[in-house]
Amino acid sequence: MAQRIRLAKRVVAESDRLAARLAETFQRAGVFVANLMSSPGSGKTSLLEETARRLAPELRMAVIEGDLATDRDAQRIRKAGIPAYQINTGGGCHLSARQILDALDRFDLAALDVLFIENVGNLICPAEFDLGERRRVVLASTPEGDDKPIKYPVAFNKADCIVLNKIDLLAATNFSRDAFLGFVRGLNPAAPLIELSCRTGEGLDAWLDYVRAERRAAAAGAPRTPK
Amino acid sequence: MHEVALAQAVWRQVGAEMARRPGARLAAIRLVAGRWSGADPESLEFALRLLVNESAWSKVAIHIRPLPLGLTCKTCGHAFEPPETLLACPACGGRDVEVTQGRDLYLESLEIEESDGPTHPPGQTRRCRK
Repeated sequence: MAQRIRLAKRVVAESDRLAARLAETFQRAGVFVANLMSSPGSGKTSLLEETARRLAPELRMAVIEGDLATDRDAQRIRKAGIPAYQINTGGGCHLSARQILDALDRFDLAALDVLFIENVGNLICPAEFDLGERRRVVLASTPEGDDKPIKYPVAFNKADCIVLNKIDLLAATNFSRDAFLGFVRGLNPAAPLIELSCRTGEGLDAWLDYVRAERRAAAAGAPRTPK
Repeated sequence: MHEVALAQAVWRQVGAEMARRPGARLAAIRLVAGRWSGADPESLEFALRLLVNESAWSKVAIHIRPLPLGLTCKTCGHAFEPPETLLACPACGGRDVEVTQGRDLYLESLEIEESDGPTHPPGQTRRCRK
């Protein structure tokens, strides 16, 4: 006689448990942790390089890099002047809470103000996995096209901050800024949207102010508000 | 492609449940995959089937029920299924909405059979030596 056992258990329950532990650790240390997500090539590493160069005099920062292979991104970040630890996921399409927990052994959180997690370049799976971060930052760039948000609605809906990079290339592409804004706001009416160019430096100040403000909130012990 | 990792997580949960029920035979696994769960039901079933086939319970049925996206308007309380690209309330036009359904992948239930015969999976039958 068949019997049905009702479970109603989230498949990623174990991952959620680890993420909650991470969030608690970050909050106790008063560190601002941002999880950066985008397609490959949107400029996550470039944004972190610029952030490192410009904020190093006032904030103590570090980066956890996630890539399938190579430590090229970590090398770039170190060259920009801040510590970086590279995780190679092999075939893995996203960073996991377990990998972040293990990577924390490499850092003295108490000696940090900001920890950036640069996720694997991919807008699908990273959106599903909480890493205990205070903020999820989603990047897009003009050459990718203005319809990225509606093609990857989950990532844009869950974003706490949206960065549009490579605005210096606007004239060279058929990217419509209005269309992009419309798509973003259809999915996420409230998240700050920062338009910038890592190459020219235009708009970077707004991003740096965002990091400063979030760092102050984290240092004051403000809890995160995951969506 | 992370469906393999998800299938492994499902399989661990199934294993933990079955370990608490010695003597039971697993007949079916029922999952619910939300539209925004990031799991493709077909890939998930494929990955889970590979794990099931390697186990002692290879005849297990796998059912994955897709669940559409559901939103609730925080302004007027209206619940609705939106088009995927514009999350606005059709009743009041409000944009302050909450995703109330379709974000999760979860293990809904297991179907088991309490058999009167040998209780261990085939190949693992043991004899009492008392």
